[in-house]
Formats: sequence, structure tokens, C-alpha cells
Amino acid sequence: MLRAQAKTSLIVAAIIIIVVLAGIAVYFATRPTTEQPTPPEKPEKIVWASTQLVPPKEQAFVKDQLLPKFKQETGIDVEFVGISYSDLVLKLESEIKAGKVTVSVIADLHGGLDMFASKGWLEDLRKFPQLEGRTFPKILEDYSYLHGIKAYVPWLTATYVMVVNKKAFDYLPEGLTPDDVIKGTEKWTYDALLAWAKNIYEKTGKKLLGFPAGPNGLFVRFLHGYLYPAFTGAQVENFDSPEAVEMWNYLKQLWQYVNPASTTWDAMADPLLREEVWIAWDHTARIKDAITTKPDQFVVVPVPRGPQGRGFILVIVGLAIPKGAPYQDAAWKLIDYLTRPETEVEILENVGFFPSVQEASGAVPEGPLKILAEGVNKMLNARDAIVAMIPSLGAKGGEFKQIYLTAFEQIVLQGKDPAEVTKELKPELLKLFEETGAPLPPPDSG
Amino acid sequence: MRYRLLAEKLDRILPYLLIAPTVVYMGFFVGYPLVQGVKLAFFDEQGRFTTENVDYLLNSPLSKFRDALFYTLLITGIVIPVEFVLALLLAFFFNSFRFRGKNAAIYVTILPLTISDVAAGLIWYSMLTGNGFANKLLLNLGVISEPIQFFGWQNRDMELLAIIITEVWRSTAIVFVILLAGLQMISHEYLEAAEVFGANALQRLRYIVLPMLMPSIQAALIIRTLFALQVFGSVWVLAGRDIPVLAGEAFYEHTQMHHTGVAALYALIIAAISLSLGALYIRFFKARYLEAGR
Repeated sequence: MLRAQAKTSLIVAAIIIIVVLAGIAVYFATRPTTEQPTPPEKPEKIVWASTQLVPPKEQAFVKDQLLPKFKQETGIDVEFVGISYSDLVLKLESEIKAGKVTVSVIADLHGGLDMFASKGWLEDLRKFPQLEGRTFPKILEDYSYLHGIKAYVPWLTATYVMVVNKKAFDYLPEGLTPDDVIKGTEKWTYDALLAWAKNIYEKTGKKLLGFPAGPNGLFVRFLHGYLYPAFTGAQVENFDSPEAVEMWNYLKQLWQYVNPASTTWDAMADPLLREEVWIAWDHTARIKDAITTKPDQFVVVPVPRGPQGRGFILVIVGLAIPKGAPYQDAAWKLIDYLTRPETEVEILENVGFFPSVQEASGAVPEGPLKILAEGVNKMLNARDAIVAMIPSLGAKGGEFKQIYLTAFEQIVLQGKDPAEVTKELKPELLKLFEETGAPLPPPDSG
Repeated sequence: MRYRLLAEKLDRILPYLLIAPTVVYMGFFVGYPLVQGVKLAFFDEQGRFTTENVDYLLNSPLSKFRDALFYTLLITGIVIPVEFVLALLLAFFFNSFRFRGKNAAIYVTILPLTISDVAAGLIWYSMLTGNGFANKLLLNLGVISEPIQFFGWQNRDMELLAIIITEVWRSTAIVFVILLAGLQMISHEYLEAAEVFGANALQRLRYIVLPMLMPSIQAALIIRTLFALQVFGSVWVLAGRDIPVLAGEAFYEHTQMHHTGVAALYALIIAAISLSLGALYIRFFKARYLEAGR
């Protein structure tokens, strides 16, 4: 009896050892080996690497609709390569160092292109002829000059806006008119928003202001790209300043009138349509559904202004040519084609990115998209605008967001002292920029 | 003589040959990920040992480990006893009574089993939300005058309740199925014999049914506990990160924060807790067969 038991334990032990050994063996056998993909070399074809429009549906639009038209017109074949930011950095670095560049055009966000320009990886685009028939807003034009060169051509934009259910206008606080809100006048301030939300709560008994503060929501962008610039004039530098403390105290007050379910919402289109909120802030792409479903019910308005101005995030996608890229004339032709007003409108209709040229805004057909485009345009052209950009921290981007979210949870939800919390978190925030070597994002650096 | 030796040898090797495919399978699907997980959690990119991830988990202001551990154990601790009692009552009920439409009733009872946790979360979210069915019903019946707020950080107790309702609704069925199968396997002869010797209903339950049901109870509890420790989809849908749980944090650290090592550490912690609880169940719910009851 005892021997049988001993035998069983032996077998069990043997099995465990074999399993672990097999695991180790499999691990070493399947360990990835480093290999270099050889880029295809075809003279009549140019390569366009992009970190944007990468999702399958968007790629299909680019490959089946956008590029065939270009080929028909110019006879130039374009290979679209959807690529992640970190892969693009690796690819460009190795190609430029090896002196054998294969990519002719790149499309990336402002922050990424800023980094490429700082390393001298981009051609100065001033050597190419003017692009006819299009005007870029001054803000976009200014940002595209980086490190002494014309680094990129602004291509597409995206941003975050406020959407108001027209019913909410019946509850405006004294001294504020619907026109103030829609046009974004001096009177449309964060204090006015607080008074408005409070008034709605007192008259209807409901908290009808909402934010996408769920785990996949973009509420964090509101914190670092809207409130911080509006109250402190910067996103990062003044993280623990007295103005920041004031800002957090303001948010605490505002939160009394914010729908408490906000912390479970990832996007605001549904809560708006269910009328769980009347006033919401979110990314244009995530709010689009509400406006396309009930265009008569909603207005898109600029965000309120704070003591320092009207802070808002502008996402810019730019087109650039890497240093020493092959077929640069063909590359310029592609950039010319992609930034035409009619091409940009086509992109807006298909994938929801906004145009970068003023002529395109006029070309948007009447309807829900026009409501959005007009709202975005008003914000871009507001006199007191403080443009904030999302920093390009690569894989550390998640930590950047989590720091602002942690501050929010501890200060607003758990009621801790804002001065202490921000002081504790600021070193963590600065560490991210030190570790990655990324520049502080606008408006901090200027 | 030689044949006998060969046969004896074969006899000795045969068991190993028979389990060889399983071992290879386990090596690939359990051993390999385990080695990989340990490597991710405790070694840096250069292959040096590091406690950086443990540090982050325990000390960083960004980590929600303590809350996640607390809530995971709390949810497990509430959901499993509730489900177990419910399932046991249901199993006794269906095993003891014969009635028309009994099979249909059983099917309906186990229907939630076919629904994924995320879908279950969504169903209950839309039922319990401010404008949802549950609130409308209570409002129309005049039980409440204001909708009950189930969601949001300020209502975390209600969120927890919603999670428990969803989990109980969704997975009582699996416990029930296992227990019902266990009950049906108990031969009537034992019970009849006990009746002949004058055992009352309580005694029959205490000395015959429960001991013979032990293997099923053990299996049901182990399966259910493992699932409870991995609870994620329904929590994510109902409460986001208001109520952090271990599996949810592993997901968040991996996809949002790109802390692969921390995510691996969470996975290892879940595995370690599962293993220890499994061992406890095996120890305390050992099957006791009547024949061996000396």
C-alpha cells in the first residue's frame, strides 16, 4: 500500500519535471530570431508609410478608393504601408543610417514628425513648388515649421468638442445666451458651464453634464489638454502650480453636477441619444453617431475658456518626405493629391478625419458632418485658442494618461488635497519625458 | 521466460507511453507560458533578475493592486456561497420532483450558461441603468420615486451589487448542472436501504446524499472558483475600473500601460491563488465512499 503511494508520488513528480522541462525546451525552440525583412525595390512604385488610417476598414478605403484615382491620374503606383509608430521609428532610423531609404512619403502625427525633424531625418519641403488652390489655417502652417525646416504638410486634423442637446438652452444661467455658447464668446467660460450645469440640476433634479470617464474613455484628454492649458497655460510644466490647485478645486465643484455614471462611459454618443446627458464632451469620432442619428437635436459648440484662454487639443496628421528618399517628385505629387480640398472631404466622409485646408470646409455637403465641421472650425479660429498637442511618448503614453487619471481619482473622487496629490505625482510625470527624451508638448514648450 | 520479461517491461513502460501525449500537450500549453510568464515578470530585457515589477505593483501610486486583490476575493467570497446554496436547492428540487415540462424548466435554468460574461454584463447594464427596465418597473409600481443609480464611482456599493447579481445569474447554472448530475448518480438502493432501517430524511441527507455528492461538490467548487478569480468581462462592462479586479488589472496594465511584466505578474498571482484554493478544496472535500467508511 505504502509502496504504491510512493510510486504515485514519484510519477506525479516526474510528470511535473517533464512538463517544466518540455516548457523550457519549447521556449528555446520557438524563441524569435532576429531577421531583417528585405524591402521590395520597384522603380515605378513609391512607398507610403503611415501610422494613420491603419485599421482594416480605413486601409481598404485608402487602397481601393483613394490610391487607384491617383494612379489613374499620374500613372504612379503607390504601396500603402500601415505601420505602428515604434516600427516606423525603427525603419526610418535603420534606413537612413544605412543610406538606403525606401520610403518616399510618411504620414504621422505632429509629435512624431517633430521628433523626426529634430533628428534631421526629414527633407525641407520649401524646395518643392507651391501647392495651388488651398489655404492652411495659420495655426497649422505655424506648427509645420520645425527645427528650422518646413517639416511637413498638414493633411488631416481631429479634435474633441462639446455637444449640446438643444433642450439644455432653456436652462442657461442668467447673462449667458445660446449665441455665446455656439460662437464661443468671452462669456462662455468654465464658470459659466458650472452655473449652467447647476441650474439644470436645480430645475430638473438631474445631473445632465457628462464625460467619457470609463476605462476606455478619453476623459483624460479633457484633463491634460483642456482644463490644464485653460487654467495654467500648460499641460505638464504647471502640473502642481497654485493655478492647477485652483483648477482641481473647480473640477471638484463641477463634478457635483456631472452624471455619476460618467465613470463607466467610454463614448458619449449613446448617453446623449438616451438623454442621460444634455451636455457632453468627447472626441469628434466618438460623438459623430449622435449627430448623424439626430442632427436636429444637437449643436456642436467650442469648449469653454478658462483664466488663461480656450485650451483644446489639436491632433494634426502631417505628410513628410524622409531625407534622401527615392522618387521625391512623385512623392510631392502624392502629397499634392492628398491635400486637395475634394480629397480631404472624401476622407472626412469615409473615415471622419477633418480637413486641414480652409477650402475643404466649404466643400462639406449639408448635414450632420457639416455641423461637426463648423463646430471644429469655430474652435480652430477662436482668438483666445491655446492649442495643446498630445505628447509622443510611445509606449509610455499609457503612463502619461494614468498620472492625470490618478490625480483625478484621488482629488475629485476620493477628496484628497490637490496640492499634495499633484506634488506627489509630478516627478513621475517628468520622469516620462526624461526617460523617452520626448519634448514637452505644446503649449508648454512655447 | 523471455516473453514474460518483455511483457513485464512493457507493462512498466505502458503507463508512461499512455500519458506521453498529455505531457507534451501540457508542456506546450502550460509549461511554456509558465516559463515565459516568470521570465516577463522577473527578468528585464537583458535577462537580468529584477524586482522592478513587484515594486511597481506594491508601491507605485498608479498601481491598483491592493484594491484589485481585495475586490477579487470579496466578489469570490460572496458569489460562490450564494451560487452554491442556490444551485444545491435547485438541484434537490429538480431531482426530487417529477412534473410536466421538467426538462424544459431545466433548459431554461441553464440558459444563462450559454451567454458570454461580456454579453451578460451588457444585458444587466441596460436593465439596471437609470433609464433601464428595472428602474422603470419599480417607478411604475410606485416602489421608488427616483431611479436607483447603480453605476458610477460614487455608487460603488451598488456597482458591486450589480456585479454580484450578474455573476450569480450567469454562473449558478454551471454549479447546478454538476450537482444535478451528481445527485442523479446516487443509486436509489442506498436510500431505500436506509429507509428500511429507519433513517429519517435529514439522516439520509447527512449520511448518504452529501458524502456521495462530495466529488461533484468538489468539481463544481473548483471550476467555479477558478472562473471567479478570473472574473473580468462583466466587471469591466458594469463598473469599469471603479471596481478593480486582478484579471482586469492584468488586461489594463498590458494594453493601456504597456507594462507587460506587471501584467505577467498579475497572471502569476491569479494562478498562485487558484492553485492554493484548488489544493484546499481537494483536501477538505475529499470523497468519502460508504464502503471505505471504517
